[in-house]
Amino acid sequence: MLKDITLGQFFPGDSIVHKLDPRTKLILVIVYIIALFQAKGWISYALVVLVTVLCLALSHIRFKTIFKGLKPMLFIIVLTAALNIFYTAGTPVLPGWIITWEGIDRAAKMILRIVLLITGTFLLTYTTSPMALTDGLELLLDPLKKVKLPVHEMTMMMSMALRFIPTLIEETDKIMSAQKARGADFENGSLIQRAKALLPILVPLFVSAFRRADELAVAMESRCYHGGEGRTRMKQLKMAGRDAIALVLGLLFLAGMILCKRLGL
Amino acid sequence: MSAIIRFENVHFTYPDNDKESLTGIDLEIEEGSFVAVLGHNGSGKSTLAKHMNVILTPTEGRVLVDGLDTADENNLLEVRHRVGMVFQNPDNQIVANVVEDDVAFAPENLGVPPEEIRRRVDEALKQVGMYELRLHAPHLLSGGQKQRVAIAGVIAMRPRIVVLDEPTAMLDPQGRREVVSTITRLCREKGMTVVLITHHMEECIGADRLLIMSEGAIAADGSPEDVFSQVELMQREGLDVPETTQLLYDLNRQGCDLPLGILDIDACAERVAQLLRAQ
Repeated sequence: MLKDITLGQFFPGDSIVHKLDPRTKLILVIVYIIALFQAKGWISYALVVLVTVLCLALSHIRFKTIFKGLKPMLFIIVLTAALNIFYTAGTPVLPGWIITWEGIDRAAKMILRIVLLITGTFLLTYTTSPMALTDGLELLLDPLKKVKLPVHEMTMMMSMALRFIPTLIEETDKIMSAQKARGADFENGSLIQRAKALLPILVPLFVSAFRRADELAVAMESRCYHGGEGRTRMKQLKMAGRDAIALVLGLLFLAGMILCKRLGL
Repeated sequence: MSAIIRFENVHFTYPDNDKESLTGIDLEIEEGSFVAVLGHNGSGKSTLAKHMNVILTPTEGRVLVDGLDTADENNLLEVRHRVGMVFQNPDNQIVANVVEDDVAFAPENLGVPPEEIRRRVDEALKQVGMYELRLHAPHLLSGGQKQRVAIAGVIAMRPRIVVLDEPTAMLDPQGRREVVSTITRLCREKGMTVVLITHHMEECIGADRLLIMSEGAIAADGSPEDVFSQVELMQREGLDVPETTQLLYDLNRQGCDLPLGILDIDACAERVAQLLRAQ
């Protein structure tokens, strides 16, 4: 069950999107999010959908994978949609109903916005290895080192966290099975009872995570890790022609979206 | 040949413990040799290994690695560059999400130029037979494969010594064979000094030298043939001897006069057949 979580996972590949510099992709995701929030009318939303589908096609990521990743977000999506449907003033769909045409319109746009937002960020993590991602982030944030921000340490922590997600998920699965074998019940009872039942999972999980962290630190040190100073990288990040093209296209897309907003589309 | 690791009267006590874990170790390890250290839990064998890589420093006495005193903090990186360490749990020593990125970790820390890192990573992965899986995610590999990645991660650093602290304890028999044959090859073909800490007797048979640790001291030291021949000592330490030695020992107790130090099964069979023919 827990193994289905695809959040923050990387699917190795050979597409043009995979080959882009992680810095380009990070900037493009930010541009994409800004552009998405410019969308007001259906024409501009259609434009974002078109661009998103195009990017997905270029990255060879299947829609199925995206849908799987969206599943954990279903609750939030349904909740926002419901709130928008019921709490928007306007002309009722049928006389006497709370549901208004405006509400349906807003709810549909809200669902679309959340789905597009998640898809855009998934596209980044699915096509960029966590190492490349954190390397890119570190280089992008490099100027902040001047104001004594521990950029290297922060990005190293991030990459370690990403590295251990699958390991800890596996561990949680194991502990849950062990507790179930001894009669623990995670599915029945009130919300409070179920929350309490989680305690025997969390305690061993935390204990083992701390032990792992300790061993990992020793292993890293014995491989001569001594902070970011004097470190080199095997995979040098280099901006290529395609990165420039991608960035120009991204900015054009943003300009287009702003234009759409001005025109009220 | 010269000693690359030298222990001089090393004592060590863990901070929250009053019993000494190492009680005056004197030890020299020669460059290019394959040394196995055998002992049961709590015998001090892991503590011994941790002194070779400055994870621990002696409370008394000193440890020299290639002439560098491990107690001197200025030597820390130099010593760790010379001594690569592989640990028991493969999951907790892999730092990256892609096999080749993990192998690159140590040379990256040392500031090696990128093209050179690429070369070393490819070479190290080929040496442990994991080159084909270089783009895989480590958590999808088997235990033996993960441990071979960990070994590659260490040899990419180009150390002179590789210390393996029970690298096979969490592996299945198949994974254990993979790891042991990999490290044996590294020592024989690349001339690397290997120190293997283990509690599996059969992994020590191929070593040049075997140390038995007991109560923080070295109880026996010699070639595997000589050490395993001391069957009473091994039994006292609660350790197994190879089946060949056990058979020869039992035959001797029935009145035969056979040498105990035959570890190869065919050679042992030949020797017993010889005895039968003579009668």
